[in-house]
Parts: sequence; C-alpha cells; structure tokens
Amino acid sequence: MPKYIGKRILISVLSLFMLVTAGFFLTRMMPGSPFQSGNVSEDILKSIEKEYGLDRPVLKQYQVYLKNLLRGDLGVSLKKPDVTVVEVIIRAVPSTAILGLLAILTASVLGTVFGIWQASSKNKVVRGGIFFGAILGTGIPNFVIALLLILLFGVKLKLFPIAGLTDSRNYVLPVLSLAAYPTAVITRLVQNTFCREMEKDYVVMARAKGLGYRRTILTHVLKNAWIPVLNYLGPAAAFLLTGSFAVESIFTIPGLGREFVNSIGNRDYTLILGLTVFMGIVVIGINLLTDLLTAWLDPRVRRTFL
Amino acid sequence: MSLLSVQNLSVQFHDSYAGGETVRDISFNVEPGEIVGIVGESGSGKSTAMQAIMGLLPKRAEVKCQKLILSQEDITPPFSADGKSAVKEEKLYEKKMESIRGRQISMIFQEPLSYLNPTVKIGRQITEVIHAHDKACTRGGARQRAKELLDMVGIRRPAERMRQYSFELSGGMRQRVATAIALACEPRLLIADEPTTALDVTVQGQILQLIKRISKETGTAVLFVSHDLGVIASVCSRVIVMHNGKIVEEGVTDDIFREPRHMYTKELIEKASHLQKLPHSMVSRNPLFVAEHVTKQYPGRINREQTEAVNNVSFYINKGEIYGLVGESGCGKTTLAGMAAGVYQPTKGNILFKGVPLLKMNRQIQMVFQDVQSSLNPKMTIEDILEEPLQLNTKLSSEGRRKKVIETLNLVGLSPKDTEKYPQAFSGGQRQRIAIARALILEPELMICDEPVSSLDISTQEQILELLEQVQIEKQISCLFISHDLNVVKRISQRLGVMYEGVFVESGNTRSIYEDPWHPYTKTLLSAILPPNPKMAKRKRRMWKVKESGGKKLLGEGCPFAPRCGYAMECCYAQSPKTYTFGERKIACFLYSEEYTGKRNDDYKMTSQI
Repeated sequence: MPKYIGKRILISVLSLFMLVTAGFFLTRMMPGSPFQSGNVSEDILKSIEKEYGLDRPVLKQYQVYLKNLLRGDLGVSLKKPDVTVVEVIIRAVPSTAILGLLAILTASVLGTVFGIWQASSKNKVVRGGIFFGAILGTGIPNFVIALLLILLFGVKLKLFPIAGLTDSRNYVLPVLSLAAYPTAVITRLVQNTFCREMEKDYVVMARAKGLGYRRTILTHVLKNAWIPVLNYLGPAAAFLLTGSFAVESIFTIPGLGREFVNSIGNRDYTLILGLTVFMGIVVIGINLLTDLLTAWLDPRVRRTFL
Repeated sequence: MSLLSVQNLSVQFHDSYAGGETVRDISFNVEPGEIVGIVGESGSGKSTAMQAIMGLLPKRAEVKCQKLILSQEDITPPFSADGKSAVKEEKLYEKKMESIRGRQISMIFQEPLSYLNPTVKIGRQITEVIHAHDKACTRGGARQRAKELLDMVGIRRPAERMRQYSFELSGGMRQRVATAIALACEPRLLIADEPTTALDVTVQGQILQLIKRISKETGTAVLFVSHDLGVIASVCSRVIVMHNGKIVEEGVTDDIFREPRHMYTKELIEKASHLQKLPHSMVSRNPLFVAEHVTKQYPGRINREQTEAVNNVSFYINKGEIYGLVGESGCGKTTLAGMAAGVYQPTKGNILFKGVPLLKMNRQIQMVFQDVQSSLNPKMTIEDILEEPLQLNTKLSSEGRRKKVIETLNLVGLSPKDTEKYPQAFSGGQRQRIAIARALILEPELMICDEPVSSLDISTQEQILELLEQVQIEKQISCLFISHDLNVVKRISQRLGVMYEGVFVESGNTRSIYEDPWHPYTKTLLSAILPPNPKMAKRKRRMWKVKESGGKKLLGEGCPFAPRCGYAMECCYAQSPKTYTFGERKIACFLYSEEYTGKRNDDYKMTSQI
C-alpha cells in the first residue's frame, strides 16, 4: 500500500513537471505582453519588462521559474503587484471548493437515488420522467441551466438570492446548476449498472437466502453498482473543484474559474502558471483518491494492487 | 405426510422464441430426510422447476401450479390469466416466501463463483442469512454460528476464512461455503442444483460425501439435480427422470438403473455406460509428435517467484493415435497444449513434429477448444467459418472450397444445408461438430482437443467422442486429447498421461492404467469416477479423503503430490522422484524405485505396489 502510493506520487511529480513546462512555453507563445496597453509607451514597457526579468531569454526565465517553484514560490501577480499568486489562490479556493464539494455530494446522492428509482420503479411515468430529465441534464450546458434557475427561483419566485456568496442560501442555485450535469450522468450510470447487477447470480442467491428487496440492494447490489460511478466521479470532481468560469461569472462568485479566465485575458504569466500548477495538483490528488476509493469498494482490486 | 408436495407445476417463458412450456405439468413428492435425484439433460427444465418451487424465477416467467405444499403450509405461487389483477397476491406471496427461503428451503447452485458476491466477505454472506431469519440473534452469536457451519462443512481455520472473499477460495471451498450458507438456518429441504458440475472429480467426491453426511446427520431432505447419472447413482435413494419438461419416469434408484422402463431413461443409462467402455487398441509405433523434457516457466510478477506451469515433461504421439492427457484444473494441461500447437515456446526442452523442431504455429496442427459458445464467431455463417482457413492457406478455387466445406460437413455429421446458418442456430454438440470441422478442413496430421466435451451433456459427449474416434480411424489423424475427466479420456485414448502440478506422474497404455493404476494420484482419480450403477457405486472403494490442493506449493524439492498422498514417505518430501520405466509404463513415484521394489529380472511383471 505505501509502496503503491509512493509510486503514484512519483509519477504525479513527473506529470506536474511536464504540465509546468508545457504551460510555461505556451503562455510565452501568446501574442502580446502583460504590460501592453494603449497609454504605455514603448520605453516604459521595456523598462517594466526589464524589472520583471521578461527581457531575458525564455529558457533563462524558465530556469528561474522552476527554481522558485521548487521553493514553493509561485511569484507575484504581474497585473496586481501587491498580491502574490499564492494569496490569489488562497482567496479564491474556499468559495470554489465549497461549491464543488457541495455539487459532487448533491450529484452522487441525487444520481444514485434517481438511478435506482428509475431502474426499480414499476411506474412508467416515473421511469420516463427520470430518463427524460437525465437526457436534458446531459444535454443542456450549465450556464443555460444557471440562467433558467435564476429566472425561475430568483426573479419569479424570489426564493433564493442570485448573486454573491454572503449567505448559505446563496449557494443553492450555483450548486444546483453545477450539479445538474454530473447528476444526469450518474443517474444513467447507476441505472445501467444497477439493471445489469440485478441480473447477476448473486442476487438470485440473496433472494434464495430469504433476504428482502431492500437488504439485497443495500448489502449486495449497491456496492457493485457504485464501482463504475467512482471511475466517472474522479474526472467530474476534478472539473468541479477547479471551478466553472461560466457559473462563477453568472453568480458573480470570486472563484478559481473566474481568476483563471481573467488571468489569461490579462496575460498574467505568473498567475496563469500558478493556477495551472494548483489545478494539476488537485486533479492528480483526486485521481489518486478515487483509485484508493475503488480499491476500498472492490476487494478484487484491493488484493491485486495494494 | 410428505415434506414437499408439488402438483401440476408448469412454467412458461413468454419471451422465449421457442414458445412452448419449459416445465410441463410435473407432480412429485419429497419425504422428510430422503435424497431425491432429478436427472435429465440440459434444457429439460430441471433447474427451472426448482427455481419455480422457490419462487425465484424472474417476472417474465409464468408459473402455473395447482398446489405446492411444504409440510402443511401452502406456498402455491399466485397465478392469474391476465397477469394484472394479482399485484396484491404477488406481494403477499413474496412476503411469505421471504420467510421460507433460506429458513425452510434453501438452495445450492451450480457455479459458486458467480453466486457468491465478490465484494462481500464470506463471513458476512453467512451471517446475513442468520440475521434475516432470526431477528433476535446477536452479532457475536451469528458469527459463532457461522464458524460452526464452516467447521461442519469441513473448512479449516473458519475464523480466518470468514474475513476472505469468494475469489480467494478454491472451487471446492466455494461450494462448501455455499453449502454452509444453505444450511445456516437448518432448512428442512435442500435443493442442490448441479452442485458438483463445475468441480474437479476429486472435489466432486468430497462435496457429494458432504451432502450425504449432512442429510443423514440433520435429517434434511435433499432434491439433487444433476445431468450426471454417476453422481445420481451414488447419492440418491429415489430418482425422477425429466425429459423436455416432463417427468418420464420416477422410482427407487436401484430399480431405475436395473430396469429402466422409459425409452429415454434406457438411452441415458446406455450412453453413460458407453463411457465405461475402453478404446480399441491398435497403433504402429511411429512417433509423429515428440516432446522431450519440456519445461515452461512463466516469469513471476514483481516480487514473486517464477512459476513452472509445466515441468520436465516427455511424451510422444504415434501416427493415427489418440493420446489422452488428464489432470485437474490448473495442472498445466492447457499450457502444454499451447506449446504442442506452437503458440508458445518451451523454456527448456524440445518439441519435435515429424522429426523437425516445432518453432512456430504449423497448419498441420489444429486445435479444438472447450468453449463452443465463444470459439465460433457469431457474426459469421458456417460456410464463412469453414472457408476462412482454406482461403488463407490453400489456393483452391471458390468452387473447390465449397466442395471441401460440404465434404467436411458430411464427415462431421452435419448436413450441407447448414452452410448458410449462423452458430446460434445450433446446439452445443452441433457447434462442437462445427469446431471439429474447422480443425479438420485443412487435413491436419495432429489435432489438439482441449477439453472438447467438458461443456456438453453426457449424451452429446458420447456422440462427439464417437465422431472423434471415427475421424481418427478414417483419416488416420493423431490427436492430443485433453480433459480433466479421466472417464472421458480413458474412453477414447489409446495411451494416456496423468498430469499433476505440471509433472507427468504416470503414463502408459490406457487399458493397463485403467485396470491397474499404480500412482496414488491415478488411483484417486479412478476411484472418483462414479459409475452409473448404484450397486457398483456403493461397493466402490473411495480414495478421495485426500486434502484438496490449492494450498501453498512445497518449496524446493519434493514430489508435488506428497502433501495429498496417503503413502508419502520421508523421501517424498526431500527430493522429487525420478521417472521409472517398466515396459510401456512410466511412473514418477518412489514406490516404484529400485530401493523400494528391489532388483528385478527383466521378465519380472511389475504390478501396483499399493
């Protein structure tokens, strides 16, 4: 087990290194400079670039950046010199992380419930309704859902506030719009695997033992039906935790997604790279976590790899 | 008063393309404490009838039953013609059955691996039955009871096993666990649905013993479903014969086997007795295929040792001879077959085909596989399947290919009209005929049959064996015939080799081995054969009280069979036995070493030392 994790971390460091390298050179390839704007003359631009070391050869800059990175120093934002990149991240993470976590939880619970409901309901309307909802959920992009939710609950019914993050009620609409897509996917996954698992011989065996329907599902089927969901949940969680630009913009939430898009618009090299590294770490960490979770759920995987 | 009384039970599947009823109007009784056998080939409705009694069939099955009584309790499944008005009755029936399943009637299934949940620990799977039927039972009490049960079915170190998962146990152990689950609440009726079909013969013997012992000790009645007459003859006191969903004959085991009245029963018994026959012997000594000291090692995974799948094996196959290879699952038979076909190269040793080393696959060597279901491409017609090897390997015109296809189909007993059909249109036996035709179409000199009849019914088995025999005589094709079933191998092969953990323990003429087995392992295998004759079955000396393999392999030297062997001496653990040759017989056992048997004259006739 520790050996397995050690190996995974080693591979993660390598992929992070590649991510940084690619990110670094790609940002430098973008046309324009962070300090370019209408009222800055050529001379001043040169001198500012010199101050930030941007006039040096790109490879030299890369070296310096890597050295700083190893010390955990992500540098100072080029656009807002009074804050460091780490400070920007620390400020933006909580709102994005809370939104993302809530969205994942909502999606897993709702998805599992809807999936099993659809699979086991005898009512055609319920089955068709959930099926249709799942298709809508996968088909409509989250910013459209966000706007529809604002229109319905915020403007018409005035149930929830539509902007900012001051109150716990503020979270409802953004979480729902973020969770819509993964909920739909998980519903379909759970419904599909649940139906397949219900045909397995061990379910017949469980019935032959005299277990009731609920017991059969809780102790036998659910665990097996959740294994494919975990495989999906890894990438989905990574996506949600790194922030959604569209949803954050619509609800004016100061999150990672917004910072990221703004930094690209500003050509804020250090901030772009800093956010890339941070998101890379999050994605890798989540994938490791889902693999460990799969091993925890599935003893076959556990006994083979750990 | 009967324990179970079934009156006019019929089952019909509505989505089935065949349409007709799977079970047609069967009635029978089971008395307390008796073992009743239900025999019939696959598709005769045995399992469906059993699941209908338990109420386990899926919704699309329509179960009609006049009366189903389990010791005075009415458990007749509800039936309504339109199928809609009875939702409430359904619910009540399901509720009632939940308390009966597992408590009054319980069931053991054929394939324990798929019937045990892979993600739930063994212990939990046993205790949950206890909890389901005895709400007052504490956790500790249930665990204690589970331990007792595992102990009762002969599993050592039960506490340790309870923390394991089903895929970590051997086949025999899994079936023991399934039996323990079935017995957890001391049911009055145990339905065993082909409980030993998926197991090795020696393990089969142990499980049969176990079921017999438990029935005797606890007074549980057993409904024993099997297609194997030998198994039925050795455990059951009464037999019900089913054919096409109907009961064709019923009676006391001895009577049924002595004087079967119905045609179908006669046929079944005759087919099964055919297997007892020995092959005709013949054969020129003209080796076509020679394996010399062949060893195959698989590189170990990280941190693990190399494993030897096949270890120093030598044998030869004469021209026009069927050579049999027997051994239990995991002994290296299939690895050896792969090397004989040229699919893999041996790590050490040589394989010669027609005097030349076999370095790659050769179209003079063809294979027939075990799984008839998956070895034929379902998207290709029979003609495509048979034509493909001709297209790839010969320069025949399309006219010539067609002629060849029809000729080969005739040879394997299929009609030329079948060429346009797809494999799904055929039964298991016919599919195996197609697979044999595919192997024969290139006119090979050696055919490797890897368990060709293991997935077939007894009656179909016999037909396929006859076909192979006929082909061998007509075409003078040699054949390496691999099976875990000594019964089948000895029926067809002229000479045979017995394999154990990658080593040939005994080889020689089939007739002489069958009449006088020398090696303790061969003796065990032979004694585990169940003849379809209750008298012989009862008289037979059993040797299966040996331990089950699957434990840790002995490190280093030593005879691989020593830990299971009743005759093991000190030297058996210390060094591995050499192969001693007596005429045609070769044997790897210290009982036949010079130190043990003394110096012999050349004309000294050696017999079994045990």
